Amino acid sequence: MREETRREAVWQFLTYGFILLGAVTTLVPLYWIFVASTLEESEFLSSTDPRLIPGDSFLGNFEALRARENVQFVGRVGEMTQYVDLGPVYFAYDFWNLWNMGAIESSIFVAGVYTILSLLLCSMAGFAFAKYDFRFKQPIFYAILATLILPIQLLVIPLFLLMSQIGLTNSYWAIILPWLANPLGIFLMRQNMRSIPDALLESARMDGATEFQLYYKIALPTMKSSLAALSIILFLFQWNLFLFPLVILDQGKYTIPVAINQLVGAQRVYYDQIMVAATLSIIPIFILFLFLQKQFVSGILAGSVKE
Amino acid sequence: MATRDSLPGPDPSVRDRLRFARQSVGELVPTPGEGIVGYVFLLPAFVLFGVFLAFPIIYTFYLSFFRFNGVGNDTLLWIDTGFFSYRLTSIADLEFVGLANYTTMFSDSLFHQALFNTTFILVVQVPLMVALALLFAVALDASFVRLRGVFRTVLALPVSANLVAYSTVFLLMMQDAGLVNYILTSLGLPAIPWLTSSFWSRITIVGAVTWRWTGYNMIILLAGLQNIPQQLYEAAEIDGATRIQKFRYVTVPQLRPVLLFVFVTSTIGTFKLFSEPVIINGGGAPLDSTITIVQYIYQAAFIDFRLGYASALTYVLIAIVSVLSAIQLNVGGDSDA
Repeated sequence: MREETRREAVWQFLTYGFILLGAVTTLVPLYWIFVASTLEESEFLSSTDPRLIPGDSFLGNFEALRARENVQFVGRVGEMTQYVDLGPVYFAYDFWNLWNMGAIESSIFVAGVYTILSLLLCSMAGFAFAKYDFRFKQPIFYAILATLILPIQLLVIPLFLLMSQIGLTNSYWAIILPWLANPLGIFLMRQNMRSIPDALLESARMDGATEFQLYYKIALPTMKSSLAALSIILFLFQWNLFLFPLVILDQGKYTIPVAINQLVGAQRVYYDQIMVAATLSIIPIFILFLFLQKQFVSGILAGSVKE
Repeated sequence: MATRDSLPGPDPSVRDRLRFARQSVGELVPTPGEGIVGYVFLLPAFVLFGVFLAFPIIYTFYLSFFRFNGVGNDTLLWIDTGFFSYRLTSIADLEFVGLANYTTMFSDSLFHQALFNTTFILVVQVPLMVALALLFAVALDASFVRLRGVFRTVLALPVSANLVAYSTVFLLMMQDAGLVNYILTSLGLPAIPWLTSSFWSRITIVGAVTWRWTGYNMIILLAGLQNIPQQLYEAAEIDGATRIQKFRYVTVPQLRPVLLFVFVTSTIGTFKLFSEPVIINGGGAPLDSTITIVQYIYQAAFIDFRLGYASALTYVLIAIVSVLSAIQLNVGGDSDA
């Protein structure tokens, strides 16, 4: 019996050791980007004695990053050089010109707009597939389902030609539009909306609700948790998109991945500035992750279900 | 609405009765109104799906039989009124080459290099990561472990890291004078040329991808573990099974569909690898030893502007990925039933 307790103790010790090792390996790179962003390059890039605790150069590095000519990572408020009073339209135009969006704002803006529009489209399509009968419903659904297995980010060549033809190169629409009708999103919404009882919709119809009211007053509110999970999937999909933005966006419109790529590929690579950029792109999403962990996890699991 | 819902059930409406009557006579016409409403809800998604997904899938295939000579300039449609003019041009200037793009692949050594690199990363990285993810999931599932929630959160953190931003961290840590070499040398080990040797640069990619995705797979495996009936473990205990035997004869067989899913999605992920080699190895350095298939497609298409050839490459990749997904759906579907 004593032999058994000892083996149990060794086993528990090994398990804890393994988990701790994993946790440390996960956290070290995260700690390191933060530390590196607060130091001068020569302080952390040293094989003999790198500084391992945060310093006070963060703001300096940040200012240097902001002052970069070819890549604008963080937005800045520009000066209004000329003011032409031509009514409200031109005023609005000037307003946007005043604030030059940097890569961070672009990424958040694009991913946010994409998430909202895609949620709307996917839930509408899912509602149609789940709750209505119409001709060619099955063939259309299976056509969409079939694209689920394709890596849709790879269809960049025709998209590039298409965007050039319709004049959307170097536009945020070019990286929002192609993936709005997200096959995974449509599929998930359809699966979940099938659980809305027909009787509920039917009784609302008899109370005089229009079909669109059924969608946004009954279907959407009951789908809150699925919508939350899907919005995480969609946001991260757009947030991580790299290949197509790299192809289609020009200087001044860069999203985070493209901007970082420019910083890394520059003639002289400033690691301290890159680490500021990395910190600014990673840490906010980490904090979001800590608060919305449940939604992240259900998003991951939703992406892995197959029925 | 709430009161109505709490009744034993609404009376069949006229619509329901009509539908039933139609079904009973075998009529396929949908109930009036409903068909249209379904289409209206579907329309926006369907149009975008057609233009930006279905069309590119077909057009990539079409393009793979042509040589691309430039952006199209043939006028297809020209509307010229006094106020505005609109000219619709053909999408590209193409020259039919038959299967030439596909046969070129057989003698394209850079493509072979990309295939080899991807396969190398695949063979080393996927088993390593799935094994780690499984071990972490099992460890976190053990009843005696405290602070499980905290550990799970920590291990899952990389899931939220931007793919390009996290790559820069590895670019920094793996420098000759970076943190990893500092740790190695302070432990008395030799420094390793992580980014400049062709072997080690592939290992760097393996390490980076493993860091980013182990937690993701761990979450999926943990969910799978929670679905294993507890009675199976109890029965095994009664039979006197050790921990390792329980793992071998209960956990692994029960997790088989989930493990398969994880394997296939990770394999597909490896075939789509792009950010990591581009950022960490500056686009395939040293000497194209880390160039991946997607990266080669990018180069062929947007650096060399061989769009036809790149389309053929894309289709080869799509074929590989589709076959893998089909295998996963079939094998996984079997054991689900």
